[in-house]
Amino acid sequence: MFKKVLIANRGEIAVRVMRTLRELGVDSVAVYSEADRSSLHVRLADEAVCIGPAMAKESYLSIPAIISAAKVTGADAIHPGYGFLSENAEFSAACRDNGITFIGPSPKSIQQLGHKSEARKMATKAGVPVTPGTKDCVSVKEAAAAAAKIGFPIMIKAAAGGGGKGIRIVRSADQLANEMNMASSEAKAAFGNGEVYFEKYIELPRHIEVQFARDTHGNVIAFPERDCSIQRRHQKLVEETPSPAVDKKLRAKLEKAAVDLAEAAKYVGVGTVEFLLTQTGEFYFMEVNTRLQVEHPVTECVTGFDLVREQLLAASGEKLTYTGGHTVPLLGHSIEHRINAEDFSRNFAPSVGRIEEWMLPGGPGIRVDTHVYAGYNLPIYYDSMLAKLIVWAPTREMAVERSRRALAEFKVTGVKTTIDAHQLIVESPDFQAGKTDTGFMERLLAPAESVKAA
Amino acid sequence: MDVKTLTKLTKWMETTDLEEITWKNGDEKISLKINNNPEHSATIASSMEPVLAPYIGIFRFARPGKTNHLKEGSAVKRGQELGVVEVGKDFKSVEAPSNGLLKIISIEDGKPVEYGQPLFFFEPR
Repeated sequence: MFKKVLIANRGEIAVRVMRTLRELGVDSVAVYSEADRSSLHVRLADEAVCIGPAMAKESYLSIPAIISAAKVTGADAIHPGYGFLSENAEFSAACRDNGITFIGPSPKSIQQLGHKSEARKMATKAGVPVTPGTKDCVSVKEAAAAAAKIGFPIMIKAAAGGGGKGIRIVRSADQLANEMNMASSEAKAAFGNGEVYFEKYIELPRHIEVQFARDTHGNVIAFPERDCSIQRRHQKLVEETPSPAVDKKLRAKLEKAAVDLAEAAKYVGVGTVEFLLTQTGEFYFMEVNTRLQVEHPVTECVTGFDLVREQLLAASGEKLTYTGGHTVPLLGHSIEHRINAEDFSRNFAPSVGRIEEWMLPGGPGIRVDTHVYAGYNLPIYYDSMLAKLIVWAPTREMAVERSRRALAEFKVTGVKTTIDAHQLIVESPDFQAGKTDTGFMERLLAPAESVKAA
Repeated sequence: MDVKTLTKLTKWMETTDLEEITWKNGDEKISLKINNNPEHSATIASSMEPVLAPYIGIFRFARPGKTNHLKEGSAVKRGQELGVVEVGKDFKSVEAPSNGLLKIISIEDGKPVEYGQPLFFFEPR
């Protein structure tokens, strides 16, 4: 195991990682920007160094500053957390070149699995189902035949595109020629390249993901799936495990897909495979996250594992805690609520200021991961997440009840928070019935927004 | 209570770590609340100015193979290199921000420094 680990991150995840380090008897080093001097991760660490000004580009995203901080403090490994440099192959390589262990996959794995089309190839190789689509770009001549082969509805995507730009949905053959022209000229204008390809459009899918861990000895574990369908503008709000839409049989298939992919990529560390799950129970590979995820605590709650510990074990060349098989037992149900400093009544506008009152929920089955305390001034430079409220209960029904109780106990003044948005979600009959998909938030907010407009 | 007394009171509060006070005299009651966050009030009046480390790394008075005869009391010119911060194979220059007299050297050669750490104090002229 390592002697001293530097955490190249801030906020709740830096605090989270430090807690495991302390339990393992490993010293922790916090790095911070000038804007984070009074942040909790600085106070909890065994050592802390200032690495740059408030702008993330010159501090938390500066590879030379972080490597220098590790050298100066004598850290033998770096934990990247999530976001910032966590999925940066260049950073993983810089650590290796400086004799520091990067607690995450190798630069090669990050490149293979972090890059969408490379990851898709790897998934196909591992026998994991991918969304039906054209392998290459489609010309106007080939369009009709290609679309018919996939089956409507289809998506036309720009080859050079990204971030949801240049995507058009076509529901029938008679619209195809027209949409194809529009997509191509849009792509040309936006990306300077008019080439497009087709993919099957999945109507109101669920976002399902499988956490896995693999060590250098070849032990692999796939954990029970997480359902992250409740999103707003591609930002997850609520995550739960297990998914109300997944039964034992489907779970076994999902877990096998994750294990096969991890084996095929010879991946070392923890990672997550994201899938789209259709209303009729087919699942398709979407992408791999080569890092610890925000929502990892729900998995910890239902399995008893400490995923940061598994990450440290894998990175230091040791064996995972459990080596008796590819799957682990699942106990109860867990839900995570991401509490952000945003004004729900003003279309989730960011809210900044000083936290005056900060009363956390407690009692049975409650876990709160946060870096916030009363009197804390929210810096304006970083993301708006204040805390993750995680509940556990023996059944989903009881977990929902517990969420309702905990959200009512959670009191924050000084800034606006999304606690009321979460209360709205918990009160929704669809959520209570487990009927969620990626269109859930839009439907939930639609009546509220029309009331405001009137 | 008049504005003058109020101003005096707020000024006084800023010199303490109080964030809120309530003053009561008969029917008259006044509450004052100020933002006394240490990040905002940690300024000390002085004629000296600090020269801060521009980067995290190892401090050196001179680049490899060079010497530096800087002493407390030396006159320095604006832009003069007072030392460097070694960051991997790179050297980040520490420069005097204006002409002046070097009063305090608060760093030793070969010591680690973090971003924003005061290395020198000098009196601008």
